[in-house]
Amino acid sequence: MESVCATTSCLFVDITENRRLWNALQPQLSAIGYGKIRAVSKKTGAVIQSAVIGAGQVATQHLACISRLPGVRLAAVCDLSRALAESAADRYGANAWYTDHTRMLSELKPDIVHITTPPSSHFRLAKDCLNADAHVFVEKPATARFEEFAELQLLAQTKRRLLIEDYNYLYNGPVRRLLDSVKAGELGAVVHVEALLCLNILDKTNPFSDPNLRHPALDLEGGAIADFLPHLASLVYFFGGKACSVRTVWEKRKVDSPLPYDEFRATVRMEHATATLLFSAHSQPDSFRLSVFGSRGRAVADIWENRLTRAWLRPVAKPLIPFYNALEEAKVLRRSAFKLLWQKLGSGPGTFEGLWVLTASLYDSLASGTPPLFSLEDTMEVNRLVHELKQERNRF
Amino acid sequence: MKALVTGSGGFLGRHVVHALLGHGHAVRAVLRPASGDPPPEWKGRAEIVRADLRAPASEELFDGVDVLVHLAATMSGSAEAAFAGTVVSTEKLCETMLRTGSTRRVVLASSFSVYDWTAPKRALTEETPIEPKPYDRDGYAVMKIWQERVVRRLAAEQGWTLTVLRPGFIYGPAWPEVGGAGISLKKLFLVVSPFSSLPLTHVENCAQAFAVAAEKGLAGTFNIIDDESITAWRYAGKFLSHSGAIRIPVPYWLGLGVAYSAQCVSRILFPPSGGKLPAFLVPQRYRARFRPLEFPNRRAKETLGWSSKPFFDSARALT
Repeated sequence: MESVCATTSCLFVDITENRRLWNALQPQLSAIGYGKIRAVSKKTGAVIQSAVIGAGQVATQHLACISRLPGVRLAAVCDLSRALAESAADRYGANAWYTDHTRMLSELKPDIVHITTPPSSHFRLAKDCLNADAHVFVEKPATARFEEFAELQLLAQTKRRLLIEDYNYLYNGPVRRLLDSVKAGELGAVVHVEALLCLNILDKTNPFSDPNLRHPALDLEGGAIADFLPHLASLVYFFGGKACSVRTVWEKRKVDSPLPYDEFRATVRMEHATATLLFSAHSQPDSFRLSVFGSRGRAVADIWENRLTRAWLRPVAKPLIPFYNALEEAKVLRRSAFKLLWQKLGSGPGTFEGLWVLTASLYDSLASGTPPLFSLEDTMEVNRLVHELKQERNRF
Repeated sequence: MKALVTGSGGFLGRHVVHALLGHGHAVRAVLRPASGDPPPEWKGRAEIVRADLRAPASEELFDGVDVLVHLAATMSGSAEAAFAGTVVSTEKLCETMLRTGSTRRVVLASSFSVYDWTAPKRALTEETPIEPKPYDRDGYAVMKIWQERVVRRLAAEQGWTLTVLRPGFIYGPAWPEVGGAGISLKKLFLVVSPFSSLPLTHVENCAQAFAVAAEKGLAGTFNIIDDESITAWRYAGKFLSHSGAIRIPVPYWLGLGVAYSAQCVSRILFPPSGGKLPAFLVPQRYRARFRPLEFPNRRAKETLGWSSKPFFDSARALT
């Protein structure tokens, strides 16, 4: 357990400590059931100038969050489409819109830029932003190729700027509670971690399988699955540490789909544990789970269904342990059903809650000068693992 | 005249191609790569081009084209996907048209959803203002407002002749259910404002309006509504005749009161802006769907010379 904490200590920062940020996000996050709010106030100083490059699908979550953060000004939205840039600026109250990011960077000199364009453009855009002395928050995958990320890392270090890849699911409620549980030693030493994502990207209504227009992520090594690997890799990394060796299975089971692969399995030997990463486009219903197996118990964080179930060695007579574990699990499942219904009715960020938490904490770090939730070295290790997983594809 | 018709594979698009061919014009019909085969009657008469307009269009698309009849819109997926598939595609298509420089006329399919439905006192006309708060409405209204804005701006900058047609609810075979008729609750069908006339246009009448507009090349905005007056009660009766669903009349103001109450409760439960509600419980959306008004079609008839045929009692109405 100690070793896990050493690797991931930055994750245990309680981001709800900042009352001002919490209050700003309260309407969106209250239904999610975040941890207790402690009355700690921080002076955050000057207004942070923020800009977003890419105004498509995922950008709406970034924009919605930034536009609500106190002490942050959404300076501009930039997109190759004038209509998209202008409409996003109009909707989220940005001061300006651009179709040329270099012009935006030179005219506005934003403190931080969110890059939410297709993956193949991330490297070039992030490089331009870092060279313009802006911090960068880039959507996953940070770059299409590992060598590009290594170059960005060096540049970020030289420029003393933050380079954050969006590992939003690390900050969804169940994963945060799972981290707390590991930190409190309830599960003992982490033995194994499993990240499982089942998502029907084969359906023709899914953008990855659009029969009319090829999705840009299909050009990544590994295709659409590579688009999800940063999520899986970041989840196992922050519980298991650095990857030492990997074995993978990449399969294409549906012959007539545009996806190069639709099933993926990986076994990873990590610094402090072993890990399995699984992606399935065939298994239904859609699900995203992180399971941690410890020496004293195990826990499953259902990320999309917003619940954490645990089974652990309780201080009761051994024959009664399964009984108490089952009682707790039943209680969690019942409560989770009602919470899910409530969440559907509410207007919160839903499964993007982690993105809001990560964004809010990042701006808090910028304002207060404290380190971000995870370091550039952590991001490098996650990217190295993603690279290894993709490389392994060619070895068999 | 040669017309480039986008969205040719859609419900309205097929009829517009048919109408243009019927008027003796040459047609280049754009179909998405994975959409089905074109109707057999187009064979040898319409030139088929397979393209997805979300990708940059080839300049050859406009070779010899006199008028662009732009009907394509993305009607499925998320609001963001629909916006990209409709507005950004329109922007790309117009940029290609601008580069070629030879085509200078556009007929754009817009919608009644762009109007501010709180503004009119008795009649909704072409002079009714555009919705000032599109983001309080639905994704469809947002994308249609922005699509018009994009084309109007380019047309003004380039001196193109732009005809904007705003049809009401388009009905016809394969598309019998229209939003304004009521709210479907499985075996029950709530007919809102049952004795008011719906702003309807049969797909064949609507297609004729596009063919006439392409021919005339007159700049302006025209609402397309059939002369035939059909109440919501009568319409629902016809299209529900085989389903066995029971019609229940709901006065407009009662429904609006329920929508305001639901919004109020939602704001108390999920402050400050409220949670998610079905479209008919959002007052702005409810109003845009059901508000009983007069829908004159004088401008389209007098300026374009368009006329509508009565279809509702014919076999081609809904089946």
